[in-house]
Amino acid sequence: MVNMKEVLLAGILMMITTVVCGQTYKTRDGNIYFNPNKNQSNKEYSALSKEGTAVLKLETSEVAFLVPMKSFHFNNALLEEHFNENYLHTNKFPNGTYRGKLIGFDKAMLAKDGEYKMSSEGKVEMHGVTRDFTSPVTLSVKGGVATFKCIFNIKAADYNITIPDMVKPKLAEATPLDATISFKMN
Amino acid sequence: MDMKRKFWIGLISMTFCSAVVAQDDLLADLVKEDSSKVKENITIATFKSTRVVNMHSVEMTGDGNLQFMIIHHFGAIWDKNEGASNLARLFGLNASFASTYMSFDYTPIRWMNLGIAWAGASTMEGTAKFKLLRQQSGVRNYPVSVAWVSTANFNASKQLESPNSFYWNRFSYLNQLLIGRKFSDLLSLQLTPAVIHRNIVAYGNSDAHTVFSVGLGGRVKLSDKQAITFEYNRQLNGYENVVDKTGAIISYSPNLISLGYDWDTGGHIFQFFFTNSSFASNLPQLSANPVRDSFGQWSIGFNLNRSYAIKKKVKTQ
Repeated sequence: MVNMKEVLLAGILMMITTVVCGQTYKTRDGNIYFNPNKNQSNKEYSALSKEGTAVLKLETSEVAFLVPMKSFHFNNALLEEHFNENYLHTNKFPNGTYRGKLIGFDKAMLAKDGEYKMSSEGKVEMHGVTRDFTSPVTLSVKGGVATFKCIFNIKAADYNITIPDMVKPKLAEATPLDATISFKMN
Repeated sequence: MDMKRKFWIGLISMTFCSAVVAQDDLLADLVKEDSSKVKENITIATFKSTRVVNMHSVEMTGDGNLQFMIIHHFGAIWDKNEGASNLARLFGLNASFASTYMSFDYTPIRWMNLGIAWAGASTMEGTAKFKLLRQQSGVRNYPVSVAWVSTANFNASKQLESPNSFYWNRFSYLNQLLIGRKFSDLLSLQLTPAVIHRNIVAYGNSDAHTVFSVGLGGRVKLSDKQAITFEYNRQLNGYENVVDKTGAIISYSPNLISLGYDWDTGGHIFQFFFTNSSFASNLPQLSANPVRDSFGQWSIGFNLNRSYAIKKKVKTQ
């Protein structure tokens, strides 16, 4: 004893639910690369993590990002051990996270291939310290994949990371990090 | 009518609730997903170096890394006969006797390490080290790390115990099973049973071709950079009343004791220690260790290692 009007209304309500919930994209394709060396052309001590996860909410341009700190791998095994044991204490602080908003982002950008410039503002939490963060971001949309690229600097001291005096002169004042996060749009 | 009413109430409230839920925390979502994953927690840094003190530790040189190691044992700390010149000899540092071991070892696959060494006293060694088990929790639970080391020692010196200096008689072999556990950030311990086989030994009733030993070593971490290390190895046979090079009958000490200090400078690990063997190679240490009664007869020694990344796993950008 269900009539057409009721079916239509139910359908509309359910659609509203979806729209209000907002579409969110999730990805496991988040890479972060960094080279801590003062001389950036020397790539010996660089590190790469391929295990960042991210989520983007279209309606509100909110983003969140999480990377397990143990997923940063170095070429030199001793350096990786120091990173985990002495610098970042990854047993105590397993994840690095970011929660923020994309400023200048419009979901219409995802519909058209191209390069878009915007910025992001939010909070980074790493090694037990939470700090405000802001940085320019580039979005490239191509072939159904949206890739966000963000190059930003982190100062070790800002996050209570103690670098021994013998190592400090070899490191850059602020370490540049390169984060590349790709979302599939279907 | 009642069912329909319930349906509508349900649907309308869902629409409004989702409007509220839509403000949910995106990051909390990721964190929940991350913590629900069963992870592989492999214990790292059981020991800072690939040696506990004298013995190999369960640690392997990193994948694709080449390690250069120098092990140096100085002469006796305080030679009773030398008197004041012991100070001049810097407690054995400048004495005439010293044993130096230099090796290069490379890990082509994470669990296998191959090395070659100049082991002092005209001997050369080749080593093959295999990581059999890694201590871990999470996906799998293993309480210990286990490794195996095989060492072949070739004595290239002109004079040998036997008048027969046939090529194969110059070889001796050491096989060790390393069982180590990181109990906490502070304490790691390792059990090291070993067997040595010597192709040629001086003729005598007690000279055994095969010598067994068992050892226990460990490290107590003082800080991120410093640790205290200790080791005790006990030879089980073939040390009493054996015939030495000159044909005399002597007894060796079955005990190999070491006490050390590790210092991690960032690029190198320095391991300093006092030990009762002035040999730098494991083979004479575990099978022909001259008796040293007083602490003065002990030696100061150090291990120094440095690794280089050969295989580039991180693609530079």
